[in-house]
Amino acid sequence: MKLSKTRIDHLGDQLRKGTIGDSDLRTLDDYRRSFGQVYETVVQTIREKLQLEPTGRPAKSTSSIIEKLHRESIRLSQMQDIAGGRIVVENIAAQEHAITLISRAFDDISIVDRRVNPSHGYRAVHVIVRILDKLIEIQIRTVLQHLWAEFSEKLSDHDPGIKYGAGNRDIQYRLINLSRIISKFENIELKVTDLLTKSTTDEKIKLKLESFQQEMDVDKESIIKSLKDIISFDSKKEIP
Amino acid sequence: MIFLIEYNRLQGKIVKIERFDNLSRSRAEKIRLDIELDLSHKLINHEVVLLDAVSEKAVRRTHRRYFENVSQIAAL
Repeated sequence: MKLSKTRIDHLGDQLRKGTIGDSDLRTLDDYRRSFGQVYETVVQTIREKLQLEPTGRPAKSTSSIIEKLHRESIRLSQMQDIAGGRIVVENIAAQEHAITLISRAFDDISIVDRRVNPSHGYRAVHVIVRILDKLIEIQIRTVLQHLWAEFSEKLSDHDPGIKYGAGNRDIQYRLINLSRIISKFENIELKVTDLLTKSTTDEKIKLKLESFQQEMDVDKESIIKSLKDIISFDSKKEIP
Repeated sequence: MIFLIEYNRLQGKIVKIERFDNLSRSRAEKIRLDIELDLSHKLINHEVVLLDAVSEKAVRRTHRRYFENVSQIAAL
């Protein structure tokens, strides 16, 4: 059954108001299922042709949809992450590679680079694939970006504002600080990778690489220290 | 492999997890809807999500929040 845009947005209004009945949940289910075929195409292409390993999420959860409708003035029909997937790669060079592969595999894509514009500290790259007027969002994260995001999401279970700049100020400060350290670390990591791919025989480049590697060690220690600080703060709050 | 997870955000714990093969997505979606209807009737606010991955190891890596507490996530 094809749902009209008007009906989808009316459903969104009902969800936003919190007046949800069985028929609303069933309609929402129909709407989410309408992404199924396109979702399958995108995830299978990424798995089989690109040899990447996404975890697919064929439909955003009802609670996440309602929270997003409360948080933003967006209409339900405009939500671009109803269906999607997540890929976690080792480092920022692998992230760049994955973005390139996915961008080449589909005709109509847009990229939201949250490394350049972090959202309350959240850094990742989201590639949004459009097929038959359906949007499928693929999140591509490095291990460090993912660690930060999982940590932030877990803390947000207890204090939902944390992810969106409205939670405990101290935790937010620590998370944003940690995100900046990770960003700095990954930028250096990318420079080192670039240099390594160019040449390792040149003495000047070797010296530069050594200097970068020293910086990376310092930054990695800072990341671990910041993380431990947050855990220490967190344990006092008894967050699960 | 498909995973149907009912997650209690306040407690930070999985209430229920069911596993399905890749050909059973439609059945998993139906069960998800049944769980959501039941929770709605009981006024319980849990997150119900379907994930699909090549293995449970993969889903535990990309969606650690459902499976681990804060300290476990932070363990490097």
